[in-house]
Amino acid sequence: MRTFRAAERARSRTIALATVAGALALTAGPAMAADVSKIDWDKIVPTKVVLFYPGQSSYEWLRSDAHKGAAKETQRGDSCVSCHDDAKEEQIQGAKILKGGHPLEPIALSGKNGHVDLSVQAAFDDKNAYIRARWTTNNKTRPGVDYPVYRFDGKEWKSYGAQRLQPDAVAGKTPAVYEDRLSLMLDDGKVPGFANQGCWLTCHDGQRTMLREATRAEVAANPLLSAIKKADVRKYLPVSRADPNDWKTGKSVEEIAKAKAGGEFLDLIQWRAHRTNVVGGVDDGYVLEWRNFDSGKNHFASNMDDATKTPKFMFDAAKQGGKSQTDADFLKKDAILVKGGNAVPFDANAGWKAGDMLPQYVLSAADAGGSAADNKGIGVWKDGMWTVVIVRPLALANDDDKGLRAGGVYNVGFAVHDDHMTARGHHVSYVKTLGLGAKADIEAIKLP
Amino acid sequence: MPHQAPLGYVAMLAAFVGLGLFVLPGSAQTDAPEVEALFKENDCHKCHHPTRSKKGPALQKIAEKYKGKADAGDKVVEQMSKGGKVKLDDGTEDDHKIIDVKDPKIRLEIAKWILSH
Ligand code: HEC
Ligand code: HEC
Repeated sequence: MRTFRAAERARSRTIALATVAGALALTAGPAMAADVSKIDWDKIVPTKVVLFYPGQSSYEWLRSDAHKGAAKETQRGDSCVSCHDDAKEEQIQGAKILKGGHPLEPIALSGKNGHVDLSVQAAFDDKNAYIRARWTTNNKTRPGVDYPVYRFDGKEWKSYGAQRLQPDAVAGKTPAVYEDRLSLMLDDGKVPGFANQGCWLTCHDGQRTMLREATRAEVAANPLLSAIKKADVRKYLPVSRADPNDWKTGKSVEEIAKAKAGGEFLDLIQWRAHRTNVVGGVDDGYVLEWRNFDSGKNHFASNMDDATKTPKFMFDAAKQGGKSQTDADFLKKDAILVKGGNAVPFDANAGWKAGDMLPQYVLSAADAGGSAADNKGIGVWKDGMWTVVIVRPLALANDDDKGLRAGGVYNVGFAVHDDHMTARGHHVSYVKTLGLGAKADIEAIKLP
Repeated sequence: MPHQAPLGYVAMLAAFVGLGLFVLPGSAQTDAPEVEALFKENDCHKCHHPTRSKKGPALQKIAEKYKGKADAGDKVVEQMSKGGKVKLDDGTEDDHKIIDVKDPKIRLEIAKWILSH
């Protein structure tokens, strides 16, 4: 079976892929319909999409007087770029928010880049759409393939490491670590306002790392979030709340199901450098009342056994060079746990010492299935730059997917996380259009 | 194969041409790119486009309005310095932005740059 991953690797022979890969290449699940190595990307003119660091510019902030002279226009649904249209707008905005002391970014982030130039290309054939995106990461010495781990303290396995904006990481009490990501929100015209205001429709106060972050007690007391069994507030669309400015005003589960049936949700496609890349996977999710995963099984699963409070898998020492990570190689050596690859069942009697570390997630292309596993992809990091290709089947008919079709034009928003950050710590684009053989900001070329 | 101009290219070209127009050899005082940068740093461009009307009037329109008036520079400086109410298209009023530039000479340079459109 010639997989997509193998194909892409063959194409870029020189790439020093920083993963456990090798033999894993062959575990990459269902074969890609098209041989991606046959796509001649050099023939597809890239579109430059500039992403900027938005800080805490939430739906609510944008509609408040703090967004000086723009609250009323934003409330009535004006397009962001009706005002933010300078040729260098994203550069100016990102630099301004990160220059220090800006109300939208309370944490000093020295050395953080204000904007990212994302080079986007797209193609499609009878079966799939292919989106290729490249960007230079802020970290030039190592790709963001690391993720917080479980660390043994002599008694228990505890979470260790956190994204850069997390208070313990800011205070230096735990190392800053998180995986790099490329995300895409996609609308087929059914989400009111998305064509004008893009991703900012989904970003609200109360979410993790945003203003007035909801407490556990507040979430537990919330009828909608307890009905859908969630422990925090995540991206949501205005249609899911009686008052879109207040996450607490969730509509009934029935009303939300109705909105979903009417297509009033966004598809959220996410490529992840730690949790999906080495098994050739890409997340498939959707945003409506929460940032949900599609039904079925993801390419990654928790590595914690809730009953025994120990990890489920450890490394096969013969393949990884040790049964676990330690301080000596943490954030230096790749440690991505893959079922059927370098993972073996956890052995409680393996002589664990304080400081031993194991991944929080275990990956498997074979286990992934259902609507959650529709998207595939691969990323390679070379000379400080990620090149990621996402493969999305056309005409998906699941109730949690937006079906892409030849001739269709879609509204898309792009985001990139790198530099050990998650949640608001990303760069985001104003909304663009993607056309499959149709006129748009980004035109996917029909492959022969 | 459809040809697509990379978004940035046209913009870059425009910026380049714009620069060429403003950097007149020997014109010691109006360092246009710097003045333009101040205009942008102060978010003026978010409401004032060179040629197109946004929330505020186009710079060309402002220049036209003051054409030939001796006190044009002072009037424009006044507008960016005093704040106060401005009328919007829909009849409502808004407080106008006060520019964050202390030096009156530089304020005048910005005014002259606006009037050069
Ligand atoms: C009516 C014009 C207008 C619209 C529409 C508008 N903005 Fe703004 N925006 C402004 C102005 C003017 C400022 C500067 C405010 C100030 O004085 O700090 C600003 C500031 C911002 C900032 C803070 C950084 C900066 O550049 O000063 C962000 C982020 C932002 N806007 C995002 C958005 C987004 C996202 C949308 C669409 C949902 C949007 N804006 C719609 C005019 C607008
Ligand atoms: C939030 C939108 C907004 C911002 C930001 C803004 N303006 Fe204005 N500006 C307006 C509006 C609206 C008017 C009024 C039009 C009227 O009254 O006819 C105006 C009027 C003006 C005028 C006067 C034109 C005349 O007819 O006399 C000048 C000059 C001007 N602005 C300069 C600036 C400068 C310089 C900045 C940056 C410091 C700035 N503006 C920022 C919206 C804005």
